[in-house]
Amino acid sequence: MSAGPTKDPAPAAQDWQAADRPEWGANDAHPLLNTDIPRVDGPEKVTGVAKYTHDIRLPGMVYARLVISPYPRAVVRDMNFRRARRVPGVVHAEPLEEEGVQLLFQGAGGVVGIVAGESPEAAEAGRAEVSIDYEALEPVVTPEQALADGAPGVGRGGRNVSSVESHGDQQAVAAAIGGCDHVVQATYRVPVQHHVSLETHGVVVDYDGGDSAVVYHSSQNVTGANREFSNYLGLDADKVTVLVQNVGGGFGAKFGAGLEGRLACELAVELKRPVHLMLTREDEFLMAGNRSGSEQRMVGGASSDGTFKVLAVEADKHGGVGQGALPRPPYIYTVENSVAEVRSVHTATDSSRAMRAPGHPQASFAMESMIDELAYGIRMDPVEFRKKNLADPVWHRQLDRVAEEIGWHDHPHRTQPGPGGDGVHVGIGFGVAVWGSRSRDVTVVDLRVEPDGGVTASTAVQDIGQGARTLVAAIVAEELGLDAPEVRAEIGDSRLPPAVGSGGSTTTGSIGPSIKDAAYQARVELSKRVAPLLDAEPGELRFAGHRVFVAGDTGRSLSWREACAALGDAPLRVTGRFQPHLRDQGIHGAQAAKVQVDMLTGRVDVLKMVSIQDQGLPLNRMAIRSQMNGGMIQALSFALFEERVLDPDTGIMLSSDMENYKIAGCREMPELVAIIDDEDTREAVMGMAEASNIPGHSAIGNAIYNACGLRLRDMPFTPDRILTALGGMS
Amino acid sequence: MPPRDGRTGPDTPPEPREERPPAGFSRRSFLVGASGGALAGALGGGLAGKAAAATPPAAPPAQEGPETLSGTVEVELRVNGTALTARVLPQTTLLGALRHHVDPPLTGSKEVCDRGTCGACTVIVDGRPVYSCMQLAVQMTGREIRTVEGLGTPDALSPVQAAFCEHDALMCGFCTPGFVVASTACLEKHGDPDLDTIKEELSGNVCRCGTYPHVFEAVQSAAKARGGRTGR
Repeated sequence: MSAGPTKDPAPAAQDWQAADRPEWGANDAHPLLNTDIPRVDGPEKVTGVAKYTHDIRLPGMVYARLVISPYPRAVVRDMNFRRARRVPGVVHAEPLEEEGVQLLFQGAGGVVGIVAGESPEAAEAGRAEVSIDYEALEPVVTPEQALADGAPGVGRGGRNVSSVESHGDQQAVAAAIGGCDHVVQATYRVPVQHHVSLETHGVVVDYDGGDSAVVYHSSQNVTGANREFSNYLGLDADKVTVLVQNVGGGFGAKFGAGLEGRLACELAVELKRPVHLMLTREDEFLMAGNRSGSEQRMVGGASSDGTFKVLAVEADKHGGVGQGALPRPPYIYTVENSVAEVRSVHTATDSSRAMRAPGHPQASFAMESMIDELAYGIRMDPVEFRKKNLADPVWHRQLDRVAEEIGWHDHPHRTQPGPGGDGVHVGIGFGVAVWGSRSRDVTVVDLRVEPDGGVTASTAVQDIGQGARTLVAAIVAEELGLDAPEVRAEIGDSRLPPAVGSGGSTTTGSIGPSIKDAAYQARVELSKRVAPLLDAEPGELRFAGHRVFVAGDTGRSLSWREACAALGDAPLRVTGRFQPHLRDQGIHGAQAAKVQVDMLTGRVDVLKMVSIQDQGLPLNRMAIRSQMNGGMIQALSFALFEERVLDPDTGIMLSSDMENYKIAGCREMPELVAIIDDEDTREAVMGMAEASNIPGHSAIGNAIYNACGLRLRDMPFTPDRILTALGGMS
Repeated sequence: MPPRDGRTGPDTPPEPREERPPAGFSRRSFLVGASGGALAGALGGGLAGKAAAATPPAAPPAQEGPETLSGTVEVELRVNGTALTARVLPQTTLLGALRHHVDPPLTGSKEVCDRGTCGACTVIVDGRPVYSCMQLAVQMTGREIRTVEGLGTPDALSPVQAAFCEHDALMCGFCTPGFVVASTACLEKHGDPDLDTIKEELSGNVCRCGTYPHVFEAVQSAAKARGGRTGR
């Protein structure tokens, strides 16, 4: 099953253990890391034992529901909560706004009341009895509405355009266009995408009116979260504990308490009872964030030798009342002359939030489409055109690898699209990825080795599905010659030593060095205690295969338990801190997609996707392949299905459930190939998840063109868009 | 391809299907019945009034004519071989009863879409996988219910559960119990399913992290571990 390097199971010389500081050692010489490591919390998750915030049930707990306006902008004319209060089991039904107030935007801006009941059913029945008369105002939910003359101001400060940034030399670009052999002018549109974490946002606040509280939170950040909740509870920060043991997905949207967290705390204070406030699925679509959409108007030009000569971009970010995200053009590619103006166009909709590789999938779609259009325009293989205009040779080898794996060189049409016409056509497309994967010096890890051999590593990191709990255990286990499940990883509790929040692929690079440092210190300290027993110097000792032995003389050894017994009565305690030499940054990736387009129905089926990326030392190969698969699948889903839909006349959201906002399922799964780029020899760690989510939908769009000559510049690539494009062709 | 019993795939409109639909009950009628005593009384006449006043245990569904209940009712659920009781509002789903009303709670089944789209709440009722969010608790009298908690424990994993761990068929884990249950039902029906059969049988479950390919591997591996036999 493992695609990893061959491992020597024998306790051979652990070279990195001879170093006088923590070192990962060569990537192909690890006994545990860089193999397929099953998640240490897998057994709890597959049996339903793992408790998520949504699963917390406490004595005396009430369940709360929010009352949210369906209209983005409205005046609240009349509110009646009396009937709701009379519903059996309802304990609280109160407005959060006053009559006459003007609601400013969809989502958190439209929360007008809160209902709580002894059961979820009672709370829901209560909410159904709340009646509110709204005077709906002009909705301002589309960019066209926002930019129209006389449109109401909905952004900060009443402005519908903000954050205008421009760079580049307009005159140089204008002059260079004349020298191009092929020029493309096109507009690319990316819709607003939702995170669709399967566990909605929310909290359970365990508070009875006393001087302390416990908050269970579905969150991507534990450290310091107690301070925010303590403000809402009116308690001292050290009297509030935030627990994040398991999180049902976050993807960037779960930072901070949110409005729901504040309201749950305030209700708990008022009722002096525990409060369970998880957003409903509809609430989640309305107020829990999104990936900003974009419109990118571009002019690009190339010379016939494949040089990317010129790029001019006007880009709008559609982040609702938020800013949206988009990396600066020309993004990954090198172009001789470029100019860009990027701005935020605000609508009266929920603010965008970070979402896996914020801004990058949007930039990728426009840039990879433009690159493709230029390549085919000069009848050049789009892989070769990409390589010619990508500075870093890592992308060259990665593009070659995915091209080989997807069968590009045997594909019948590579410099022009297939002829189209009736029937079903197969095409192949490409895209590349980049991610910084920076890390932060914030994580502290306490490590305790008991005289009976027990090992506990503690840090307040959170496992949101990336496998952080397993990394905490596995890094320590390898250093001490143990197996991952033998190390207890204590995480997800604000009382533990601080760790990094999980966003922007920063977790691994930020916690990995601190975990390794703690493990190194424990090994060195234990070596000092054990060395006399083996008549050796501490530096001569090696830890592997549940034994401590003298390097070059495995006959002189103790079992792990015998070695720990040397601790006597007191456990060994060490504290690990960030070590910058153990992490690096900078991820490259490339992906290819093979699709089938049915010209009669407009249906697109993705047949195969291939992804490769580098990430320094791949700590857990199986979890990395899972994340790479996940990136490809989310990109496929974005490409074919996902789009927030608002009625432009009323502003009401039409896609606020999982039927009308479809994400990819089993039947849409293509063959997926996730390749870890082992030519990357950096002996350092970094997070890898964002990069795998960036270019897949671009590759699918390019594959559709390659199949049949239809260039789709609006996502998602639904059958109606295929058929409309076909109509335009004929 | 036809939807499996009691569940629908993403390509077909969700519609709760019951092998033996109890006469007269639907989630809609309970929602109406529960929305207010006066309304429920008007619709249900004496029966509703009786239920509201005396809150009797839920009788086996009447076989002729619709019946409306309101107030709270006591339901008896046979879950993982154990008889459990809970007092619930009549509109309470099986999922709601398991998660919020039985004691101790059975929270392995997850509430995600709450309308029969995502499969995170999948349980096995009388041998067939169903969306527990689309079943009323009061309909479950006399039915044999199996949840993820009944399939195995962390120290004694079922073959499907062990294969999920071995193949990393989970990331955040929130869809995982539903997939484990649906996969278990798949292998009880098909001893050695091919990939297309697995995709079809699991098409009522969605995952946002993107674990599908590893789930498919896990089901194929578990089929081998079970020796290709069908049934429990």
